[in-house]
Amino acid sequence: MNEEKAVKKYIPMTETMFFILLSLQQEHHGYGIMQYVKQLTNNRIILGAGTIYNSLSRLEKDGLIRALSDDDRRKTYITTGLGKKILKVEAKRLAELYKNVKSLLEEPL
Amino acid sequence: MKTKKIVFFPAFKRVVPADFENWLENMAAEGWHIERVRQWSSIIMIFKKGKSKKYRFVYDLRAIAGKDYISTYRQFGWENLGRMASVYIWRMEYDGKRPEAFTDNDSIAGRDKRTIAAVSVSFSLFLLAALTMSIAAIFFSGTLSANDRTQLIIGAVFFIVLAVLLGTVMLYIHKRGRQ
Repeated sequence: MNEEKAVKKYIPMTETMFFILLSLQQEHHGYGIMQYVKQLTNNRIILGAGTIYNSLSRLEKDGLIRALSDDDRRKTYITTGLGKKILKVEAKRLAELYKNVKSLLEEPL
Repeated sequence: MKTKKIVFFPAFKRVVPADFENWLENMAAEGWHIERVRQWSSIIMIFKKGKSKKYRFVYDLRAIAGKDYISTYRQFGWENLGRMASVYIWRMEYDGKRPEAFTDNDSIAGRDKRTIAAVSVSFSLFLLAALTMSIAAIFFSGTLSANDRTQLIIGAVFFIVLAVLLGTVMLYIHKRGRQ
């Protein structure tokens, strides 16, 4: 999948896709992704097995991540160059959103 | 005291995946357990009486599952009870918060869509059979005997009824998914 198509398909990104791609800046397997995201979000997001399997299959098929090892059927993944580009596009979008709501957050309740 | 319970057409009576999961969970809470799910389990399920257990079940239809599908679920602590047709049934005992395998709207909707797509295959075949028989009964009625014509009409009506039934099932799953 080329960058233009990937941007169209993945931006704006769901929280699930965002955190999975973010966690795959380092090599992880499915369960490792769940633990990483759980820690990163202070237990707010606990990804399920079905959700992670679906997301990883889709991201791998579209070339945003790739499998590194297939040890004892426990596949590990990492983001590809395309995956990193798409993650940055989403990060920029989130930064813009944050910039626009920052003053709102600073207002006293 | 009864130690066995036989349920016919369990998956046909509960076509929405979440309903099927909840039914299995309620059965387990009442002490009725199924240890293996097999190809014919959508037609007949045999439960054995045991202790009441708090299990979360997951119904996951996968026409093609990757080789890491099973291992991903197992890493999360799910027990694979087996497959009926293309449906994998998973189970996890829990205490406290009910575990979920699908944790975002996309994957919940995706699970329902896969179920609808599977039903649509049979729906299309039944519809095609009904149309073929209807066309034959209408356009070749002159060349058919009264007996053959009657058989074709009965066949067409039978397949139309099945197609309507499956169409209703697809709409129902879709509607429940939107809710």
